[in-house]
Amino acid sequence: MRKEQISDKEAMFVLIIYYIGSSFILGVGGEAKNDAWISVILGVVMAVPVILIYARLLSLFPEKDLFDILDWAFGKWIGKLFALVYIWYSFHLGALVIRNFGEFTNTIAIPETPMIVPMLCIGIICTVAVTSGIEVIGRISAAVLPILIIIVSTVSLMAIPKMYFHFLKPILGNGFLPIIKGGFSVFSFPFAESVLLMGVFSSLKTNKSPYRVYLLGTVIAGLLILMITFRNITVLGSTYSKFYFPAHIAVSMVSLGDFLQRIELAVAVDFVFGVFIKTSICLLVTCKGIAKLLRLNDYRSIVIQVALLMVYFSYTLYDSIMEMAGWAFKVYAYYAFPFQVIFPIILFVTVEIKVRRGKKKLQTGVGTDG
Amino acid sequence: MIVLIIIGYSLLALFELIPFYHQKHWREFWVNAGFGFCSFTIAVLLSFDVNIPSPSEPIKNMVMFVIRKLV
Repeated sequence: MRKEQISDKEAMFVLIIYYIGSSFILGVGGEAKNDAWISVILGVVMAVPVILIYARLLSLFPEKDLFDILDWAFGKWIGKLFALVYIWYSFHLGALVIRNFGEFTNTIAIPETPMIVPMLCIGIICTVAVTSGIEVIGRISAAVLPILIIIVSTVSLMAIPKMYFHFLKPILGNGFLPIIKGGFSVFSFPFAESVLLMGVFSSLKTNKSPYRVYLLGTVIAGLLILMITFRNITVLGSTYSKFYFPAHIAVSMVSLGDFLQRIELAVAVDFVFGVFIKTSICLLVTCKGIAKLLRLNDYRSIVIQVALLMVYFSYTLYDSIMEMAGWAFKVYAYYAFPFQVIFPIILFVTVEIKVRRGKKKLQTGVGTDG
Repeated sequence: MIVLIIIGYSLLALFELIPFYHQKHWREFWVNAGFGFCSFTIAVLLSFDVNIPSPSEPIKNMVMFVIRKLV
């Protein structure tokens, strides 16, 4: 089978859309209320060391993905156990994102339609994208991201008359603790979720690429999320954290005279593209993991069935939108911590020890020979 | 609803499983059949409004238990 390869630019665009996928619409750092913008900065800063670990692991093993690295580092059985853990995480995360999309469409746009219908629709689109491969997902991202940035920037500029900058005050009014909690929440959703991209970034060109892609992608996405959070706070005030979809509410207040109204549709477009890319990546990583675990020739043979299972799973996850919001903002950060930080650190330490031992052995061998 | 599900899954079996059978890709065939059987069962249960238990609550309880132990 032909080896798939994406350019650094495409990979970075995939990463940025992956980050902004659901965070644009759900809002981030709600714990810090009107200091959420500080939490975003803190979240990016907290994410940098972890992201450097992901990049280091990828650069040590060019053309290898997360599952190959796990296999190499831990051997056959423990490696398979870790692979199973990451298959579960990517499957669950994909289901969570699909559910966010289902709740959004069901609450905002089509309340009469059963929630499973939009969820199945996004599942079908993601199936097509994943079957086409990472190259196609990369090209879609490269085509779509500039449009998304133009939409977001235009809508934010149009929101300036509705912004009240005194909503930002009092800065640090509730102390540092809510900001740290918010920063941790921003760190785990969305920045450290990029651990799953280790499952697809085996297609990068050089071993310097992961650093460039991860660092630049994180900084650009961080700036975009900061801009959106800033806009939402200055439009909605400290009630920002009380809405399920703050970006939608904030933008629904924006209008330009009598002729440009209801531009919240633009936010929905952003969200749909974001969900599409993020779910596609989660589905791709799940299928690749299962294919490696069960030694299949091609991950494409199971994409349809895994996508269907993901949609059904997302449908059964919660009973209501309140439960979803509670889980996303109170439980998720702690639940995801082992997948995003603890296991990658264990993997990183194991890989570094093995690589250094290998180098030492090689040097000793060369010395003896000489 | 159940009729739609049966038609949908029959078509999936026709276009996905039969090619694997003809090409003698047994591993792909059985893995696909296994996943297909699982997803078909869940689809039928959902169509009959059967409440499928969600893992969200057990995960939440486990996370809260660990946090309480650590803090």
